[in-house]
Amino acid sequence: MKRIAVLAGIAAALVFPFVVTSPYYLHLVVVIAIFSIVTLGLDIVFGYTGEVSLGHAALFGVGAYTAGVLAFQFEIGFWLAIPAAIVVALAFGALLALPALRVTGPYLAMVTLAFGTIVAILINEMTFLTNGPLGISLQKPMFVDLRTWLPFLELSRPRMRDIAFYYVVAASFGLVLLVVNRLLASRYGRAFEALRDSPIASDCMGVSVYRHKVLAFVMSAGFAGFAGVLFAYSEQYIAPNNFSFELSIQFLLAVTMGGRKSRVGPVLGAAIVVYLPNLLADIDQFRAVAGGVAAIAVLAGGWRMLRVPEERLRTAVPVVLCIGFFVFSLMLQKITDYKLTVFGLMILFMVYYLPEGIWGFVKAGLARLMPSPPAAVARGDDAHVWSATAPVVAEGRALLEVQTITMQFGGLKALDSVQLTVMPGTIHGLIGPNGSGKSTMMNVLTGIYTPTSGAVVFEGHEIQGRTPSDIAGTGIARTFQNVQLFGELSLLENIMVGLNHVYRGTVGDVALATPRARREEQAARLRAASLLRFVGLEALAHEEARNLPYGKQRLLEIARALALDPKLLLLDEPAAGLTAPDIRELIDIIRKIRDHGITLILIEHHMDVVMTLSDTVTVLDFGQKIAEGVPAAVQADPKVIAAYLGGSHAEAA
Amino acid sequence: MSVLVATTALAQPIKVGLTGPFTGGSASMGVSMRDGVKLAVGEINKAGGIMGRQIALVERDDEAKNEIGVQIAQELINKEQVVATLGFINTGVALASQRFYQEAEIPVLNNVATGTAITGQFKAPNYIFRTAANDLIQSAMIANEAIKRQGFKAPAILADSTNYGQLGREDLVRALTGLGVKTVAEEKFNIGDTDMTAQLLRAKQAGADVILTYAIGPELAQIANGMAKLGWKVPMIGSWTLSMATFIDNAGANGEGAMMPQTFIQTGNTAKRKVFIESYQAAYKVDRIPSPVSAAQGYDSVFLLKAAIEQAKSTDGAKIRAALENLQTKVDGVVTVYDRPYSPADHEAISNNIPVFGVVKGGRVVVAHEDDIAGDKAVRVKPKN
Amino acid sequence: MTSEYSMQVLAQLLVSGIAVGMIYGVIAFGYQLTFATSKTLNFGQGEALMLGSLVGLSVVTITGYWIMLPIVLAFGMIQGAVVERLGVRQAIKTKSEAGWIMATIALGIIFKNLAENIWGRDALKFPSPLPEAPLSFMGVNVLPMEVVIVFGALAMMLLVEVFNRRSIYGKAVVATANDRDAAGLMGINTSLVITFSYALSSMTAAFAGVLVAPVTLTGASMGGALGLKAFAVAIIGGLSSGMGVVVGGLILGITETLTGYYLSTGYKDVPGLVLLLLVLSLKPSGLFGSATIKKV
Repeated sequence: MKRIAVLAGIAAALVFPFVVTSPYYLHLVVVIAIFSIVTLGLDIVFGYTGEVSLGHAALFGVGAYTAGVLAFQFEIGFWLAIPAAIVVALAFGALLALPALRVTGPYLAMVTLAFGTIVAILINEMTFLTNGPLGISLQKPMFVDLRTWLPFLELSRPRMRDIAFYYVVAASFGLVLLVVNRLLASRYGRAFEALRDSPIASDCMGVSVYRHKVLAFVMSAGFAGFAGVLFAYSEQYIAPNNFSFELSIQFLLAVTMGGRKSRVGPVLGAAIVVYLPNLLADIDQFRAVAGGVAAIAVLAGGWRMLRVPEERLRTAVPVVLCIGFFVFSLMLQKITDYKLTVFGLMILFMVYYLPEGIWGFVKAGLARLMPSPPAAVARGDDAHVWSATAPVVAEGRALLEVQTITMQFGGLKALDSVQLTVMPGTIHGLIGPNGSGKSTMMNVLTGIYTPTSGAVVFEGHEIQGRTPSDIAGTGIARTFQNVQLFGELSLLENIMVGLNHVYRGTVGDVALATPRARREEQAARLRAASLLRFVGLEALAHEEARNLPYGKQRLLEIARALALDPKLLLLDEPAAGLTAPDIRELIDIIRKIRDHGITLILIEHHMDVVMTLSDTVTVLDFGQKIAEGVPAAVQADPKVIAAYLGGSHAEAA
Repeated sequence: MSVLVATTALAQPIKVGLTGPFTGGSASMGVSMRDGVKLAVGEINKAGGIMGRQIALVERDDEAKNEIGVQIAQELINKEQVVATLGFINTGVALASQRFYQEAEIPVLNNVATGTAITGQFKAPNYIFRTAANDLIQSAMIANEAIKRQGFKAPAILADSTNYGQLGREDLVRALTGLGVKTVAEEKFNIGDTDMTAQLLRAKQAGADVILTYAIGPELAQIANGMAKLGWKVPMIGSWTLSMATFIDNAGANGEGAMMPQTFIQTGNTAKRKVFIESYQAAYKVDRIPSPVSAAQGYDSVFLLKAAIEQAKSTDGAKIRAALENLQTKVDGVVTVYDRPYSPADHEAISNNIPVFGVVKGGRVVVAHEDDIAGDKAVRVKPKN
Repeated sequence: MTSEYSMQVLAQLLVSGIAVGMIYGVIAFGYQLTFATSKTLNFGQGEALMLGSLVGLSVVTITGYWIMLPIVLAFGMIQGAVVERLGVRQAIKTKSEAGWIMATIALGIIFKNLAENIWGRDALKFPSPLPEAPLSFMGVNVLPMEVVIVFGALAMMLLVEVFNRRSIYGKAVVATANDRDAAGLMGINTSLVITFSYALSSMTAAFAGVLVAPVTLTGASMGGALGLKAFAVAIIGGLSSGMGVVVGGLILGITETLTGYYLSTGYKDVPGLVLLLLVLSLKPSGLFGSATIKKV
């Protein structure tokens, strides 16, 4: 089915210039394809990592100007301009992403905006290189002259040139589509989504948020730069004002309107933003389209009203709006003056009724009409739960040593000179009333906090002050008190993010789909399925993690942490919210993990769980260690009893 | 498609493209130009059209954006199949779009954009014509006025950072160099800048005795107001945009005395001009034309096109171009009388003797030197090609 | 040139930089108000400023300057509430990141286009309530209106801050900002708080519009450039800090005029933006933004 669609698409692209002979439409399709390359790349940043970039017009401009300057100053043509522009755009992308170190949200948007503005100023001011405001004219190359072979088509020279250029752009577009698709279906795509849904969990899974954010920006920049070259040669004239801030907004609008996180959406969106100004300029065409939309809305809405009678009113609103819009288009005498208002209203309508974009809406509709067959249950087995090499730890020596750690927040000492020694192969319980510093300890151990003083020694190396993803790489995995799953990824993919460390293939492997990349992906899939089976969730492998009941989410977190092949696993209240049978299952799982040779630190309020499982228990209160020893001894310690009585009875239960 | 209602149903209307920015910062020029063109088309259609055929305008807003201009060019050429296009306010849009007309062999009459490069972009047969005074003419006039006529010695240039301002600045520097004068300062600012202190202080520090400008209305007003704020007053002489209402209104008293080359000034000093001004005022219910120069040049461009089509007896682009390059009939326009305005080598209808200096006086642009338009100089005509 | 003269130039540049900076700052202030309650920004803030100023222009000819002010403030509040109800609320409900960005941009486009059709496309002069002759102080010139902008902006920001701290609304804002869900559980009508913050934000923008218009000119396209500059200022100062915008505005305004004079007017905007990038790479949430402790 999919294959047929792809072949049909290629066939349509091949015959298009001979079916539609107007150069207007040919040029329009070329520009749409070029914009699509930008929006497909932008979707990596905007749809997947969830960051807003207001600098993509500048990256696009950098590509176009690389081509322009090469042609203008050095007489270097199209084919060399492409690799050059991609390299330059990649460099600019990295330059843009580097200050984005820890910045996110509106701050990152501003970084990209500032970057875009600076680039625009430089292009305008560096007249010696860019010819300044006068712009640069280029000549569209004649890639291939088929006129002697196809004399019966009676092609003029410019038309032959345009058709050849069209094919180059169409092929580029197809190539970009393929590569973007591969990248986003790979571990990179999963990592991007993971860092959007939970940056902290990504870092703790060894997927460095910073590195991947830079990577996403750089990839995206490369596509924008590539598109820039095509644009420069398609328009044959570039000037600084081509690449304004407004163009960045247009790219964002395209991705949102078309539908994020898909391949169809950004292309659809590009087509809309390119064609819309033309559509809005022509009142008759505008009326026809508005009428068509209203007709579709009436049909779809009517059908829905019959099917879902209880939502009749809610359904009626957008239908009435569509009809009203059509009436408005008939009343409008002259559209030029109000075309931007119409444009704005269309965006608003989409925000309201198509929040996932047009493609998101269509996809949901298709899914309802033709429910896809249930995805095959992931097939895991017992043989692939653990990595081929069992964790090697030095026996007889402490695996983890926490040396007089103090963690101070303003005036508050959340941890006060705490010592902790965890022996390999044991389960170490960590208990204490609320606010005693247990979770702070977890965060210090995993690098989320840097302790004010003291040292954390893991396998003989000090790890305090290193980044969470670094620490995760040394073999410390964790779960979270407030579950931190990657909500929009499936269960299987959640675990595959944890398996990021097993991949050796590069971006190049993924883009070219080398045997290595395929092999690694296969292996990771099998391993992930096996881990799901280990925690009893294999039946739900393709469900989105956010749809999972709370108790199951905790189990998924454990499986994901195991994917890191840790030597030390930190479990932060794994039993919270679990039913009694679930807790029994959990105890079983934890024992199996320990039996495999993984050392555990267990924070838990369910005393029976802690006391049954732990070899040693440490008790914290107000940031200080008040007791330590075997469970029975700790339970009998009057200081511990006092702490819990002074705290909350319920929690000691 | 969007066609003005044709009164004679028999003959196919002649489609003419009309493009410029009708929204955004330079819209007042675009709209004045558009309205001038529509006024002329209305008059022609009422009188029976061209060779019995009505003119149908296809209006497109290019938003002063190059890429939109390119798309519009493609659309007008290939989809609407216009026989010619009138318009372009922004030099950048013209440079980006007109290559498509050139390739399709469809004549373009640039009726406002002034960038010198516009008519020189292509070799003969060149389809790009102009009815505006280009920057070369304007900058020479500005330099002449400032240095020769008024005797200033230390000019400073203030230009905006768009291609309009920067290309104009380059021409101006060349014109000054030609007169043996060096600028003491050349400063830039962006569209939307509200504070000109730094630029003006640099000019003042450099000892400027006159400020030459290449920018558009609002920022020009900020320059005049900024000078008043700094308590530093030197004369302003600049490109024709100093006649924009946005400069005159917003600078108020601070803008009085500013001088600029004008192809058309809203004073009905000939019968033709009087009629034009009155019918514009009546049609669009305004007293002062927002940009009289744009309106007048737009108006005239239609009559030039009409003469060419009638002479070619055809709407074929190549024939219209050939006719434009060798116009046999005199076209009596509001800017000038066009007597063989173009030749194959010369696509500029406005020569350097046509514009006169206007000066802002009492909130209006009036003729700066009355003797410029005295007697038979009322209508200044280009020397024959 | 004598050193006395160059000191005078420097003083003049600083004064102009301060005036420009305060214009940016007072617009930037509005970004913070909505960010505090809803973690959203009105990308049409520049258009709110423009509308306030144009409405003020229409009203001022009828009522005179002082009666115009409360009318513009009321208009600003309504306009802000409309933006929130039409654009932002839906996006917050569906938790759509892109939604509020698109919606506020869309509303900005619509407002600008409507303004173009109502008030025309040209820059317009806004009558100054004060004489337009500059005041001269030791050779440094300043427009009376610039002085009013600086103090008017400060006064308004101070009033809003006091209101936020003292009134019950302010407490609701703080609660909503800290934890929207918890505040909702405590009986605070958080969506009303968010609407109100938008109203307040647009009110400050509208006020800023009439305040700065005598100096900057007004018109349908006045919002764009100022809105973007103000965004930069809000980010430099930190979105979670009340008065950070004052410092942010002064930094950007003064950098611009100093660069323009001492380096080059062509590159005038670059150092300010580079400074912004530096600030953010050292302090990711702006100069005065509180770095939130990550809670896990």
